[in-house]
Amino acid sequence: MKTLARYLQIWLASARYSLVRATMFRGDLFIWATVELLWITVNVIMVGVIYSHTPTVAGWTLYQMLILVGTSMLIQRFLMGFFWSGIFEMGRNVRSGLFDFTLAQPGDPLFMASTRKLELDGLLNSLVAGALVVYSARKLGLHPGFLDIARYGFMVACGVVIHYSALVMAMSLAFWITSAQGVEGSYFTLMEFSRLPRQAFNGIAAVVFVWILPVVVVSNAPANEILHGYNAGWMIGLCAATAAWFTLAVVIFRSGLKRYTSASS
Amino acid sequence: MLKYGQAFIIGLQSNLVYRWNFGVRSIFWFFHLAVVYILWGAAYAGHATIGSYTFAQTLTYFVVIFVLQFFIGAFNEDYQISEDIRNGLINQFLLKPINYFAYRLSVFTAARVVSGAFGVMALLVALPIFRGYIELPHDSWRIYLGLPAMALTAIIQFSIAYCFGLLAFWFLEIQGFVILSMAVETLLGGQVVPLDLLPPAVFNVVRFLPFFYQAYFPAAIFTGRQGLDFALQGLAIQAFWAFILVCLAEFVWKRGLRHHTAAGG
Repeated sequence: MKTLARYLQIWLASARYSLVRATMFRGDLFIWATVELLWITVNVIMVGVIYSHTPTVAGWTLYQMLILVGTSMLIQRFLMGFFWSGIFEMGRNVRSGLFDFTLAQPGDPLFMASTRKLELDGLLNSLVAGALVVYSARKLGLHPGFLDIARYGFMVACGVVIHYSALVMAMSLAFWITSAQGVEGSYFTLMEFSRLPRQAFNGIAAVVFVWILPVVVVSNAPANEILHGYNAGWMIGLCAATAAWFTLAVVIFRSGLKRYTSASS
Repeated sequence: MLKYGQAFIIGLQSNLVYRWNFGVRSIFWFFHLAVVYILWGAAYAGHATIGSYTFAQTLTYFVVIFVLQFFIGAFNEDYQISEDIRNGLINQFLLKPINYFAYRLSVFTAARVVSGAFGVMALLVALPIFRGYIELPHDSWRIYLGLPAMALTAIIQFSIAYCFGLLAFWFLEIQGFVILSMAVETLLGGQVVPLDLLPPAVFNVVRFLPFFYQAYFPAAIFTGRQGLDFALQGLAIQAFWAFILVCLAEFVWKRGLRHHTAAGG
């Protein structure tokens, strides 16, 4: 409990620093907020163009699909807001040797590396993604109860942990291949699957992307909670995937850390 | 000319050092293609055509887009240029009879030779899986017009990345601008949806923008989505944009140098 409180204190200090920094570089904040907004727009336009030629995709109507896309974007914006900068820089710091500074800090290296910065722009755009979900739900005439919303929130949090784990694994490659530049793109590619409905996956694709890699479950589980109500199967699957992926990410990060050789003189 | 040949060779060597990065990108190329296959496969369920194109034609379009990106896409040239400016490495080019644009273009060409080789390897692996879905037209003019279109696309992509890299003369951090432009380029370049699926009025505006020529145009020539007249007109517009962007690059370079302070001795 004492350790948890200490980590919370460290995180709050980092968050405070990030907020002060964000308000100092307001132009930068504006540009990044626009970037995030534009990517959400790109996804919505893509869905709009496809649905202008077909009424359903894998049995999902336009607004059902927008709930799925909105949920996926919501998870990703939270990841961007809370962890992206720290993990992204970790990949570069491993190459340059600046990762020494992280190791010298008073805490678990993975925690210190990944919670170093809070990005306000990502968090601001989580409101846009959330608004997309709310708007689509209203268009469908859905009125989820308090429990549904609480379970949706919990599932989104599980999704953030899974995304976090995938990103840590991708960036941990830097310990082996030295330059992880561009590897972060692999994370984005993998997470494109989370914008697809479960029903679109058949055969080997279902085995790989639904059961082995939890990239589909991560967004489909919360979206289904809003669309069709509670489903124990989704909940259990998501919790199991969250625990498994987080454990795997920690194991890979730690084995990579053993290979790290400081580049400083 | 010899010095740029040397820059090309050095570029080849330095890119081969990071061959694993290209290898990882090639692997994730399959995932990207899988997303396209699953999404569009679901959209085409129950429809023989969408926007007068079959599923095979649409999949062929995306395969060609992806392969083209390996050969002519500017991946991180903007970042490299901004690092040269930020770290002061640009100073060495100011003291030598080297044109920085030509030097960077040589290095970019070398990088694309390496990534293109990986792209071809990825394609060879993917072909047995997707062979039944690849439908390329047999008109020979498509090769004669497609290849120069590819070359002009490379110049457009490089010039835009070069201009964004040069923003480092004015701004400490340019990644926001780069990713902002990437979102626009991804959408208006036809990497998310084939642009001919947009409403005709929108398409007729987009075809006069430079982004149209960053990916969609050569892919549309190779895959038969546009006819000879359109290709000839497009090639003229593309040449115009390539010229404008090269001039803009030179202009930004000259203006940037006025801002630049070379420190140290």
